Amino acid sequence: MWKKIEKKLGNLKFAVVVIGLFTLAMIVGTFVESYQGTEFANRLIYKSVPFMILQFCMFLSIYCATTLRLPPRKKLYGFYLIHSALIITFAGSFITWYAGVDGNITLYPNSPSKKISLSEDVLKMSYHGQGKVVTFALPANAFASNLNEVYQGIALNEYLPYSESKTQWVANTNSQQGSDQGLTSSSYFISNSNVSQEFTLSINPAATEFQPATEMGPLSVYYLHQSMAPCFQETNPSGLFFWDSEKNICFTPEERKIPIKEVNSKKRFLALKDEQGIVSVYFPEVSPWPLTQDLKNIQKSNTRIFSKRVFQEKPALFLFGKKLAFFSDEQWHVQQISKEKSIDLPWMGFSLSLLRHEHALYPERVPHYITPIQKNNELIRGAQKALSLKVQDKSYWVTDQKPITLLIDEDKVTFEIIKKSINLPFEFNLTRFQMNKDPGTNNPASYESFVRLFTKDGPENHHIYMNNPLKHRGFTFYQASYFPVDDTNFGSVLSANVDQGRPIKYLGSLLLVLGAIWHFHLNKRNLNKLKLKRQKVASA
Amino acid sequence: MKNYLLVLLLSLPLTVLGNTNYFCQNALDDIPIQQGGRVMPLYVHAKESIKFLTGKSSVGKVSAVEAYCLLSIKGFGLPQSFEIQAPIEHEKLKDFLKLPDRHPKISFDQLVLKKRDLIRQYQMEKEESSYKKALNKALNRVKIYQDIAAGTNWTLAKPIDNKVSWQPFVNFFDAQAVMAQVGAARSEYLYREIVKSRDYYAPINGTFLLELKYAKAHLIGWALLFTLLALGAKVLFKNPKISLGFTIINIVILTVFIILRVLISGRAPVTNMYETVMFSGYGALLIGMIVGHFKKEFIFVMIALAYNVLTLMMLIFADGMLNAHISPLVPVLRDNFWLSTHVSCIIISYGALALSWILANGIIIRKTFFSISKQDENYYSELIYTCLKIGTTLLAAGIILGGVWADYSWGRFWGWDPKETWSLIVLCIYIAILHGRYTSWIPNKRFIQLVAAAFMSVMMAWFGVNYILATGLHSYGFSQGGAVFLFSFFAIQIAIIFVGSNFGKKKKIG
Repeated sequence: MWKKIEKKLGNLKFAVVVIGLFTLAMIVGTFVESYQGTEFANRLIYKSVPFMILQFCMFLSIYCATTLRLPPRKKLYGFYLIHSALIITFAGSFITWYAGVDGNITLYPNSPSKKISLSEDVLKMSYHGQGKVVTFALPANAFASNLNEVYQGIALNEYLPYSESKTQWVANTNSQQGSDQGLTSSSYFISNSNVSQEFTLSINPAATEFQPATEMGPLSVYYLHQSMAPCFQETNPSGLFFWDSEKNICFTPEERKIPIKEVNSKKRFLALKDEQGIVSVYFPEVSPWPLTQDLKNIQKSNTRIFSKRVFQEKPALFLFGKKLAFFSDEQWHVQQISKEKSIDLPWMGFSLSLLRHEHALYPERVPHYITPIQKNNELIRGAQKALSLKVQDKSYWVTDQKPITLLIDEDKVTFEIIKKSINLPFEFNLTRFQMNKDPGTNNPASYESFVRLFTKDGPENHHIYMNNPLKHRGFTFYQASYFPVDDTNFGSVLSANVDQGRPIKYLGSLLLVLGAIWHFHLNKRNLNKLKLKRQKVASA
Repeated sequence: MKNYLLVLLLSLPLTVLGNTNYFCQNALDDIPIQQGGRVMPLYVHAKESIKFLTGKSSVGKVSAVEAYCLLSIKGFGLPQSFEIQAPIEHEKLKDFLKLPDRHPKISFDQLVLKKRDLIRQYQMEKEESSYKKALNKALNRVKIYQDIAAGTNWTLAKPIDNKVSWQPFVNFFDAQAVMAQVGAARSEYLYREIVKSRDYYAPINGTFLLELKYAKAHLIGWALLFTLLALGAKVLFKNPKISLGFTIINIVILTVFIILRVLISGRAPVTNMYETVMFSGYGALLIGMIVGHFKKEFIFVMIALAYNVLTLMMLIFADGMLNAHISPLVPVLRDNFWLSTHVSCIIISYGALALSWILANGIIIRKTFFSISKQDENYYSELIYTCLKIGTTLLAAGIILGGVWADYSWGRFWGWDPKETWSLIVLCIYIAILHGRYTSWIPNKRFIQLVAAAFMSVMMAWFGVNYILATGLHSYGFSQGGAVFLFSFFAIQIAIIFVGSNFGKKKKIG
């Protein structure tokens, strides 16, 4: 039985088919890497199970082709050497894959580190109350997968190794629906002849990933409750108005006949008496909140004051969902805005239109799987990793860019997607990073890390640079990258590596070249025979 | 303040001269200049700059050095009617700049005025396109032109605190010393000051003078001439001895070329596409000579010469794709031992595989359009087999050396980087062919076609990774353009195989 299998596997046709498939996979891999990035190509092809099976088939083919040609024949010595060399190289590579360590250590100037980050992704769950840390290995897939894991009531569901967050509009919960109808969210489109941008603002507290204000260069944009819009239309001399967030109404001091006084520093102040007869004092140029005697904000107050004058000096745009307000030509303008009717703004030729306005829905950023796209060796799309969790019947997304913290059984638990790491048995300190440049240019000529190693025998100083790694206790450290820390200092990234298969691979490589030379040398007679035959035919 | 004073002083006598060459003359060829991270003669830098700006190595009868010098003088704000023009090839850019179809050139002074419009066009072009590339090239040209015309591109050596300090042309002269000169003597004085820069720097490091000799020797042109003479002597006059003589002269010329580049750059000449193309031709010639000698077969030399004609013509005529410029190495390559072993080994293996490719195509063409005996076909197949064995052995050795170097400098023997993966793909393809041939599984006809086709994988590994994939850790070898060349090569090669195989079938049926 084995003889039959051995004959099949050692067959030349099998070898050519395996080499052909292996070659084809590699060709696809290089194009995938070019468009989708190195990690995606590794996950899809080079480190995938089918590709590993293909390599194992190559190993079997080489092994069986060798054993089939035993006992040894002198003519095949070169063949034996080449094939044995390949088997040895495969063995060395297997040891590296199985037992080797390949990671990075990031060093900040003068702060010791011993942590090596590996390439595998893990979910880290930190239980703050118990001081417990639990990690789950995340699959090295190229596409989305369902983990179907449950840990102490926490369900780990869909894992997206490459994702992009898209805005989704979700319904308010029952408790929110019953409350303020003015907790709105809106999307707008702003553009001029050179740039355009879509943005979403929200005052709904459920929309945790959206803010009620944004900056666009010198322009400040504020998203306010719609009940404040009428007061921007008022032309009261003080330019002040109050807003009651409980009743959702606004009113001017002039309307309520509230006197406006000035302190010695020319700052205005007002005193407002509420329905319970409590008097609150406001300094509109200092704070929108009422102030205590020692000038501290009373933030639990329902009533705030706004001074429109504060926003007349520099570009400021106020949005109220379907209305907007801005100051231009020495007066405040309040206008209706819609998708159909864009409003021309008085700054840099910008115009604004409303794309969406919701009060029953709020925006949420939800990760979606996307095939990554790379440019200049960096992913420009799909660089985010995301995992869906279900805790107490509620779903959450944790991403590698944004960890989340939840209260589970009265214990705060933080979820993070991070790289798996191991600790070195010794510590490193980057004393100096030096980047030399080619004369008269900004082109780097060398990257050099001066490190201090803290060992049992005391500290040792080392100098690591390109083509000059540091070897210590089985680890080899190579200069891999660097990053700016501030204007003058740089941090350094060293690749850290343990490769037990190295000498075996080197031996296999050496034998391979020797075998090829031997094999080539043994076949030289053939050409002379053909030459003679050809000369005979020519002379005949 | 010093500059303004200098401009004022210079402008008095030189304004009278109007549109003369001032002190700009070809004798400035050997003035050292620091640019792009190394010191070179002005002749080399001026020629490269003027070629980049105008597409030609001179401006009419004005040499590159004179043109560069005249443009640099503009930095003093002197009246100058000398101007150079930028060639605009892209149709859309021609339309944008409103250039006539017959004379699509625009003076750089006009192009500078349109710089803002060009930048806006570039920003508005969201996707990568040929128009965006043309805009980028035009903007790069404007940038270099402005640098030269501001007098800041030309740097001159000056001793400051016993150290070499490279001063921009506009800051180089001592205003008070210039003021002490009167009339035409002032122009001569400026020339003497510039020459002093050379006399000061040359004893410190005279390598740049060697580069001047190298640049003026035009060795690649001579090598092409002797290659053609060697081929002509054998093909036209059937005289292998004279052919061999010319071949040896050719090898000597290329060896001198390589030695000079090594001395100038201080490293093995295998770090960009220009050098690898040259080195593969040289390697193929050496292999052809050695194998031809041991196998007593002159045809190896002939095919090596034929391959050399192709590589040398590429070096001379495809200068847009292959840049002869010598530039400092990226940090990772700064290891002469590994550079000269790993890369040289791979490139020589490509040379050996190129010999098999030329032979295979030669047989296909001969079989298709002429005739070939069975014995000849078998014999030539065996010659191809010999080239393949050398090529694959060297390629395997080169890949392994690369793995060892990667392990030594990056910490991993193999990382599935596109360049190393494509080298392995090439090796696998040739190994599959060798297996088929060794066990007589692949017949002669198919073997020849496969060898001709397999060289496309070499071209993909060599050029394609740089021009098409353009990614990975071997990114230092990357170049612009070249995809058209590669696709044309693939198209021609596929056409030859297709025509060859179809013609053969018809013959059989007939």
